[in-house]
Amino acid sequence: MPDIPQTECREAIALRAAGKAFALDDGGSVVALDGIDISIREGEFVAILGPSGCGKSTVLRLVAGLETATSGTVHIEGRAPAELAAHHRLGVAFQDHALLPWLSVSDNVALPFRVARKPVARDTIARLIALVGLSGFENARPSQLSGGMRQRASIARALALDPDVLLLDEPFGALDAVTRRHMNIELQRIWSARTLTTVLVTHSVEEALFLADRIIVMTGRPGRVLRDVAVPFARPRTPEALRTAQFHAMVDDLTRALEPQG
Amino acid sequence: MNRLVPFLSRYWAVLLLVVVWHAWVTLGDLNSIVLPAPLPVLADVVTHPALYLTNAAQTMATALAGVAIGVLLGAFVAILAWASRLLAGLLTPLGLIFSSVPIVALIPILARVLGYDISTVVAIVAVSAFFPTFVFTGAGLRDLPRATDDLFKVLGATPWGRLRHLVLPATVPNVMISLRLTVPEGVLAAILAEFLMGRSGLGFMFREAASRFAMERALGTSLVVTLAAVLFFTLAHRAERAVKARWS
Ligand SMILES: Nc1ncnc2c1ncn2[C@@H]1O[C@H](COP(=O)(O)OP(=O)(O)OP(=O)(O)O)[C@@H](O)[C@H]1O
Ligand SMILES: [Mg+2]
Repeated sequence: MPDIPQTECREAIALRAAGKAFALDDGGSVVALDGIDISIREGEFVAILGPSGCGKSTVLRLVAGLETATSGTVHIEGRAPAELAAHHRLGVAFQDHALLPWLSVSDNVALPFRVARKPVARDTIARLIALVGLSGFENARPSQLSGGMRQRASIARALALDPDVLLLDEPFGALDAVTRRHMNIELQRIWSARTLTTVLVTHSVEEALFLADRIIVMTGRPGRVLRDVAVPFARPRTPEALRTAQFHAMVDDLTRALEPQG
Repeated sequence: MNRLVPFLSRYWAVLLLVVVWHAWVTLGDLNSIVLPAPLPVLADVVTHPALYLTNAAQTMATALAGVAIGVLLGAFVAILAWASRLLAGLLTPLGLIFSSVPIVALIPILARVLGYDISTVVAIVAVSAFFPTFVFTGAGLRDLPRATDDLFKVLGATPWGRLRHLVLPATVPNVMISLRLTVPEGVLAAILAEFLMGRSGLGFMFREAASRFAMERALGTSLVVTLAAVLFFTLAHRAERAVKARWS
């Protein structure tokens, strides 16, 4: 694909008036999402913030093709999300790491190659494992890792096939502040190297501001888009960018937007 | 001495049994046709190693062959039932019914159908291993680790890729459970079949000895049978534990 400016403006992910209601066992239903409009350009990095249970994971699952919208539409590159998955162009790190317990870390990271019946690129796997700071744990099994290490292994796996769309559901939730910052800086390097459309669900306003081009703030019951904020900081962003007055002002603003409305 | 204490603390019940057995025979002044003392029984085993070994080897080989066939077929049919709803509807009730039919009830029928020879004994053992494996493997195929089904969807896995990389490996611990359950069962089924219809092996040896009131020989056979069953159970149990540790 030629790297001309027009391609930058192409829409990669589109949710139009998307709604999702889950049927409950007692015959009733719960409306998780209602009238969600989100448009994400190719190569754009969008972070989703919102209180627990507001439907962030559900948005991600709609985009991943794991749920179907009960109203409205969800498209990736104008097609059904499942098509992208079928072509092995989708990378997902789940909130639940979903590592296979009987495989070593390196075999878990190699799994996307095997499932896609592609030759396993050993050097890519070693590089990704190093990237997420798990060098030396290649042969460990998931039960021998901490929660944060499992999450990092699942990020490495999500990146294995060099996907076009990357979906991350609170991937750094179990990490301490220092490791989290380090991961943010490392991952920013990947994104600066290539166009990778990314949706990141996070509870950290700072993380969203550090990584994303745009931040979507959601409210719950039913889940709706409350704010859609462009992040003005130039790239590459350094940890110093986190100390500017403008950064702090935006943190305050977004934190206030997340607080329950009285 | 320091090895004797743990041995005693573990196997005192077995030793007690031997002591009670010995006391019963000597104090009750029992005829050796009713019950021989433990020592002559042991002596019979020790002085006829070739006889015991060949028959034991034959029985074990029969049991292992039967269990291997039964477990492989059981797992295979469980996968078929997993892949096809039609087959599942057909096979699952059959599996549940047959896994609760005692193997003794099936031996005469199978012998009548297949003939009175060693391959029939193998078949009987295979049948005894087939149904538990079918039931347990079937359960394992449906019990996948959290969120992995979603993972394979977003990886764009084909049904075959999902079976090969997720479902089959996930069910290995359940196959090991089946093995642990069916191996001692298989030894038992082999001996029972030999006893009822065989012409060789430990089961036949026992019947032959008992029919001519050679009770030392008969009980010696029982002893060897017990040891073999315990050995097989221990091995299968260890294997299951090792796999379980690797799989969690
Ligand atoms: N499979 C399901 N069946 C029924 N209700 C569901 C299901 N999945 C999600 N929900 C409901 O949808 C709502 C949104 O859930 P979702 O997991 O998307 O929240 P979230 O924003 O990701 O929360 P968190 O930050 O805690 O992960 C919740 O009220 C939840 O109860
Ligand atoms: Mg969530």
